[in-house]
Amino acid sequence: MSGQQRPSSALQDFARNLRQAPRRFLETVFRHGPPRTDRTRSTFVFGNVFLHLHTARTHRWSLRWTTTLGLGLVSAAAFVITLVTGILLMFYYKPYPDAAYQSIKDIHFVVPTGQFMRNIHRWAANVMVVAVILHMARVFYTGAYRAPREFNWVIGMGLLVTTLGLSFTGYLLPWDQLAYWAITIGANIAQSPREITDALGITEWADVGGLQRQLLLGSDVVGEEALIRFYLLHVMLLPLLLAALLAVHFWRIRKDGGLARPAGADQRLGPPPGDTYPVFTEAPQKTYQLAAIVRGRTAAVGNGPENTLPSMPHLFYAELGVFMLTTLICLALSLWIDAPLKELANPNVPENPAKAPWYFLGLQECVSFSAFMGGVGIPLIVLVGLGLIPYLDREDKGTGEWFGGPGGWPLVRRAVLFGLGAAIGVEALAIRCGWLREWFPDIPQLVITFVNPGTILAALYAVFSLFEVRRRNSVRAGALALFTCFLCGFVVLTVIGTHFRGPNWDFFWSPADWPKH
Amino acid sequence: MTAEARAPRSRLDPEPVSRRDFLGLAALWAAASALGFALIGSLRLPRAAVLSSPSKKFRVTLPESLPAGQAFVPPGRAVALFRDAEGVYAVSLICTHLGCVVKSTPTGFECPCHGSRFGLDGTVAKGPAPQPLPWHKITGGAGDYVVDESANVPQGTRLKA
Amino acid sequence: MNRNKGLLLLSSLGVLALLVAAAVQENILKSWRRIQGAAKTEAGPVEVRLRQIVVPGLKAADRCVSCHVGMAPGESGILGPRAVAAHPPLAHDPGEYGCTACHGGQGRATEEADAHGAAAFWPEPMIPLRYAYAGCGTCHTHVRVPSQSALERGRNVFEQLDCLACHKLDGRGGTLRPWGVGGMEGPDLSRAGAAGGGVGWYERHLEKSQEATDGVWKTCFGAIEESARADLAVFLASRVGAPGLVEAKALFHTLGCRGCHKVNGVGGDDGPDLTRAGARDPGRTDFTHVPGEPALPNWFAEHFRDPAKIVPGSLMPVLGLTEEQIDGLTFYLLSLRQSGFPEAYWPKDRILADRFGEREFAADGATLYGTFCAACHGAEGQGMRYPGMPVFPAVANPDFLAVASDEFIAGAVERGRPGRRMPAWGEKEGGLRAEEVRSVVAHLRVLGGVSAAEPDPQPPRWAEGDAQVGERLFGAYCAGCHGATGQGAESPALNNHVLLSTASDTYLARTIARGRRGTSMEGYGDASTVHPALSAEETEALVRFIRTWEKAQ
Repeated sequence: MSGQQRPSSALQDFARNLRQAPRRFLETVFRHGPPRTDRTRSTFVFGNVFLHLHTARTHRWSLRWTTTLGLGLVSAAAFVITLVTGILLMFYYKPYPDAAYQSIKDIHFVVPTGQFMRNIHRWAANVMVVAVILHMARVFYTGAYRAPREFNWVIGMGLLVTTLGLSFTGYLLPWDQLAYWAITIGANIAQSPREITDALGITEWADVGGLQRQLLLGSDVVGEEALIRFYLLHVMLLPLLLAALLAVHFWRIRKDGGLARPAGADQRLGPPPGDTYPVFTEAPQKTYQLAAIVRGRTAAVGNGPENTLPSMPHLFYAELGVFMLTTLICLALSLWIDAPLKELANPNVPENPAKAPWYFLGLQECVSFSAFMGGVGIPLIVLVGLGLIPYLDREDKGTGEWFGGPGGWPLVRRAVLFGLGAAIGVEALAIRCGWLREWFPDIPQLVITFVNPGTILAALYAVFSLFEVRRRNSVRAGALALFTCFLCGFVVLTVIGTHFRGPNWDFFWSPADWPKH
Repeated sequence: MTAEARAPRSRLDPEPVSRRDFLGLAALWAAASALGFALIGSLRLPRAAVLSSPSKKFRVTLPESLPAGQAFVPPGRAVALFRDAEGVYAVSLICTHLGCVVKSTPTGFECPCHGSRFGLDGTVAKGPAPQPLPWHKITGGAGDYVVDESANVPQGTRLKA
Repeated sequence: MNRNKGLLLLSSLGVLALLVAAAVQENILKSWRRIQGAAKTEAGPVEVRLRQIVVPGLKAADRCVSCHVGMAPGESGILGPRAVAAHPPLAHDPGEYGCTACHGGQGRATEEADAHGAAAFWPEPMIPLRYAYAGCGTCHTHVRVPSQSALERGRNVFEQLDCLACHKLDGRGGTLRPWGVGGMEGPDLSRAGAAGGGVGWYERHLEKSQEATDGVWKTCFGAIEESARADLAVFLASRVGAPGLVEAKALFHTLGCRGCHKVNGVGGDDGPDLTRAGARDPGRTDFTHVPGEPALPNWFAEHFRDPAKIVPGSLMPVLGLTEEQIDGLTFYLLSLRQSGFPEAYWPKDRILADRFGEREFAADGATLYGTFCAACHGAEGQGMRYPGMPVFPAVANPDFLAVASDEFIAGAVERGRPGRRMPAWGEKEGGLRAEEVRSVVAHLRVLGGVSAAEPDPQPPRWAEGDAQVGERLFGAYCAGCHGATGQGAESPALNNHVLLSTASDTYLARTIARGRRGTSMEGYGDASTVHPALSAEETEALVRFIRTWEKAQ
């Protein structure tokens, strides 16, 4: 640079560099110019740590609204919203009994934007639970769990459980009556394996339930130790776990070839719209050399650039749109309904009824028959069953299609009818006529543990789906039937637990009929 | 979908996105302003609207036997009260340097943190303190006084005992 | 593509709109902002910001002063809406105690409904203004009260002597100035009792009156009789700055409520403990049968009118109170709100009572009887008959007092009648001390006009005789009222082991022989239309039979 001319002094260099520093700084941040060509658009995606989870190009099938309904994104967006608002709430929240309650009152009344933040946090958490469940249903009904996506389905189960765990641990933090008694019940559900160990007479040396409860509460009552443990779980362990699982979940989507789509997707999509650029009009300049030395399928197999669009901006408009839509929903709910806060927790006066958050009320309904079966047994069976689905259903017809294509819908419809009918029937029987204990007062607990409305319902569903497997001669049909039934059972039990149960867990047609204390 | 748009081009050419993509730009600006507004709102949160510290005004009863020039420090408060022939006055014990609580000695006040020294009337004698110790407003009488830590009076202002 | 852009545009605009709405709601529409905006001092408008009183010792952060700006410590001369007015003069500095300690309500709240406690899930709503002094009970759990009659006498003397001409009391009086306009005004006596002063006031007044040659001092003040001075002293000692509360408490101590209800560990245990009745959570109270607003005062008032209507199955009788009495009792019950504040905040009266066992109520026999016995046994000891309940015995009956020794009556009071409604009043159970029980007994003798029981030369147990004869007689003459096994029905139970162990044979025999005039118990020593006269031997046999129940137990 300074060849023949008089070498500029280092001081001059310094002055020039200083002058140019702002421009150079900007150049190092925005390296590739505006994303107007395919190349710069691709660079935009993989040159950015936050965006490079995406492929540079996205298949047009994945961009259709009906493919995913954006439910996974809604879940992730709700997580981001709870994360941001949660961190802000931590500025004021004090995880100590009584002080916790006062700090929530302060957040509600005097912290700038505090009331709004708490409402958003609470509503985003609810939206997240709903979205995660619906997302799971979407993945199931479009057959998107099938090979090679089995493991990601299992990761999804983990995310579901972590999401529920986050909700549950957050429930205690306000330290009001609602929180205190819901957690007391929750902690005793953790203890419910004693129902079995007691019946077997081995509690003394194999007290699994007691250990679980003790680990959860750090004491034998819900007190300051329990609060600090729930706080730790809620703000640290579970969010970290969720973030880690989420990263794996996203990464696997890419590794498993993006979103599942039916075999004939390209034909059904038709030609691309005119204002988008058709790809591969030139011979590719690169070959996939690397593919030869890496085991397994490359990410590009079956996933070529035909019929794809640059992710920037096509995918990002959609993603940002869904994020803002989720925000909109949370904000609207927050302005409309305040997050609840009852009286200060009082260990001497139980709430009646003491209800868990709504998504656990289906379980609480089962718990009202048997603590162990409702709180541990059935959820475990459901989770194991859900996790097994992709390993049992190895068919590949109808992947990427809602309800596995035509013929699936009538089956689902029948399963809905059966699922709702069976749940309502069994519940009606138990509510009107009581259960075994009322009929045979001396019956051993072990019998009730294994024969109760919850287990009967689960068994009915299993029989129904086995019947469908035989009738349709398809494992997929059985899975569809079983999943639908369980979803319906979840809805029925949740609605009963939320709306139709009152003090002493008695049945009431409406909360207006509840007796007054 | 003009014929021109369908003509094959190089992949390296810009996509024929209309330069006046009003919808896209409007959407992006709307999103940016919504997020910006949310950010401003969130940034307001950490600044507390009310402070949780107790009232700066407090009552104090001076012992009858307090000798002139000896400090009386009410428990839990960083204020020294004096009574002399001219009246009663209250000197702050918060060092004006970096807020340590100074110690009352027979000759004045010493800050344990960075060695500032103050005279009995609060004037800086030594060390890094930039300002004398302020005198607080004091009201009441006949042994019972109300000291207001949030209100200062000029040095030398005494309340007639 | 365009659909996604549209989605982004619409939802972003929606988010923006909602954020603006939230910002407006928080920064413009809050009612405390409006109220502070309307308030001003002479120097100009007040600064609009959240205000609060923090009292770490009471764990209080009372934001009431965000609206009631004029009540904030150090504020003065604020004009504007009614809410910003200054607090009426008071003994306690709000800067030191905050607002909620006395008034209840939710101090942390900044919206009217939440702060005043009308919102759901706040267990401690504000005490209504007309009962505001009930708030004293939060700390002053043992406000001293004289007996109601002494209080009334004192007030009468106070009015008759026209002390109000010069002195103020609870905002009344004090219009006359002895030295003419601008002269001295008599001191406000509203808190005369709390100050504990006033020693030698009479002499000072008298001296001034004698010195004066003309004017008010000369014409208005004269000698006062000693008994009137004593009544005045009692009255003035009760003026502690809680107008109405002392009267309400004195009323409570006259109606015998503590016969069934414990307050601060003293009282019967038939009804619920009332120590914290005023702190009851309205959210956990059944207002189904209470007309009007679902507020605690309404509940109390309606409950006094008809207890069983409000609390199904309540054993409390309909007391037939006047509306004025009901209001007084409601006032007092609202003041029963003992707090868990640290001991450093306890007032002197509570320490004296809790730590040194001093009684806060007058401990003379009349007051004690009124407080603990009158509800069941009648104000004059005449016995009571409430619908649907057994008769409560007439304990001041002269025939009873003539045969019952002081020890017997004291024993009955201290140990009660287990299994019956009469509770044990001994120090451990009912909280009455031995000397207090003695005063009650003495008061009974005053009520009945029998100064002492007839002497009994015999040992407590002397009856011999044939229990079988006694059984036959009992079945013929006694079982109808006292029950076949003496379990009591219309008349008192005789098989009660405390009765049997404290009653002497003489007491039983004399009662049988003489009966109790004015009750359904006739004297069996003389013949009547329904029974022959029982001989001394037959009476002895009856006593003997009654004694067999003692052994059976």
